[in-house]
Amino acid sequence: MASVLEVRGLNKSFGGIVVARNVDLTLHSGRVVGLIGPNGAGKTSLFNLISGVVKPDTGTVLLDGVPLDRLKFHQRIHRGLSRTWQHVRLFPSLPVIDNLLIATHDYPGAGLLNVLFGRGRLKAHDRIARAKATDILAAMGLAKVADALVSDLPYGQQKLVGVARALMGEAKCLLLDEPMAGVEGASYAAMQRIVREVAERGVAVCVVEHNVAFVRDLCDEGVFMFSGAIMARGSVAELVRDPQLTELYFGH
Amino acid sequence: MEYLYGLVIIVGLYVILATSFNLIIGYGGLVSIAHPVFFALGAYASAVLSRDFAVPVPLAMVAGALVALAASIALALPSLRVSGDYLLIASIGFQLGLLEVIKNLRFTGGSGGFSNIPPFLIRDVGRESYVGLVLVTMVAVILLVRWIARSDYGRAMSAMRDDELAFASIGRNAMWMKIAIFGFGSGIAGLAGALYAHYFRFVTPEQFELVQSAAILTMVVVGGMRTTWGPVVGALLLEALPQALTFLNFPPSILGPVQGLLFTGLVLVFMFFRPQGLVPAQDVWRGARKAGESR
Repeated sequence: MASVLEVRGLNKSFGGIVVARNVDLTLHSGRVVGLIGPNGAGKTSLFNLISGVVKPDTGTVLLDGVPLDRLKFHQRIHRGLSRTWQHVRLFPSLPVIDNLLIATHDYPGAGLLNVLFGRGRLKAHDRIARAKATDILAAMGLAKVADALVSDLPYGQQKLVGVARALMGEAKCLLLDEPMAGVEGASYAAMQRIVREVAERGVAVCVVEHNVAFVRDLCDEGVFMFSGAIMARGSVAELVRDPQLTELYFGH
Repeated sequence: MEYLYGLVIIVGLYVILATSFNLIIGYGGLVSIAHPVFFALGAYASAVLSRDFAVPVPLAMVAGALVALAASIALALPSLRVSGDYLLIASIGFQLGLLEVIKNLRFTGGSGGFSNIPPFLIRDVGRESYVGLVLVTMVAVILLVRWIARSDYGRAMSAMRDDELAFASIGRNAMWMKIAIFGFGSGIAGLAGALYAHYFRFVTPEQFELVQSAAILTMVVVGGMRTTWGPVVGALLLEALPQALTFLNFPPSILGPVQGLLFTGLVLVFMFFRPQGLVPAQDVWRGARKAGESR
């Protein structure tokens, strides 16, 4: 079981507020890790530090053994990191399919010279990306809404589109920020199945989630965070049973 | 007839300026007021190269566009590295500062202006052909910007405007896209400047001052941002209005300020009562197509 992402000694504080306290975390190929903890524990901040949205005070992040520290957010995505957002953050002016088409690593349409002089390359990419996007949407049961605007979709489907978009690149490590919040019914089952499938393809997955049932059913391992520090790790069932952690979680 | 030709050319050039500025502020979401200075750079570069360095006029025109493009990248690169907001501040400095430089350099003719610019087409073929050249360029620019907005690049511009952080999260670099948009739009302004110089054959720094920034901005806002025809309608309207004003027989000392007031007043009125402009843009990216539809 190869380690894909390694976080070593990560520290970050904003003024007096510490969001990461000497965090060490390793994500392995094919395994799903659930990051749990109360609000304000630093879970999303950890995702922001790993992906480069926020720079850490100290510490390092390695992907496949290569340090990412000097790379910007968008460059880290090209190295194989992928993430979703707690509040989805889709592109509202684009239909679902276009939200996906734009998200391949090699999207040539972001270069003005490619667009002006490289029609062939654009068309070839469009064909491949469209096939890939159609497959991903079909796997999620979203084939019918490919041409709909994202703002017209129910929230649960928007969350699925967010994951679909994150899968358009060649991800080695996928960070999912509260994929289940606001998701129910058919989208719930689809989300569970998709995350499993992604892990089975060898991607290292980390999920921030408050839905305990989802985390217990899906994750191979749980990591409990509190006040910017990792307090415990182990099987999700163990963590949930631990009275000390329960107290921290509910703040009794 | 000559007056009419001159008028058509001026209107045509303003359509080019408004359309290229629409690319920058409308599609790119980049706020800058330095568009007139790139118009000036194109005009001066082409004029100086053709008159003092005997460069053939068509080549000098292309060089004028390239000088504007290079200067705009020099402005955008440091300011966009910090953040999009700094581009506005930097563009104000660039607009005001560069005109002062032009006023104080000898080879640009200083504040007295640069005269005897070699004519193009006018003597050999006739004035009509120059009018044709400007109109063909105008149509080409309108169609090119429209095509870019609906191409894969337009899809990326839409996404970038929607959410820059999400744009980065799919591996896209917003900064380079903004620099490219700014450079391309400014290069077109430079070309318009070169076209101006070789028809009217005289340029002076006063023509490119801040009131022109207000005029171009007003054309785009009043006409309708992020639309093909908005800037065209805006340019036609805003060029017709001052012409109409001249019939009111204001003394010249009042006419200038009245025009300035008119531009800013119009922007305010539209911001309050019709923020989408005369030609409203769609919320949805126009290049989107239904499944199975071919391009």
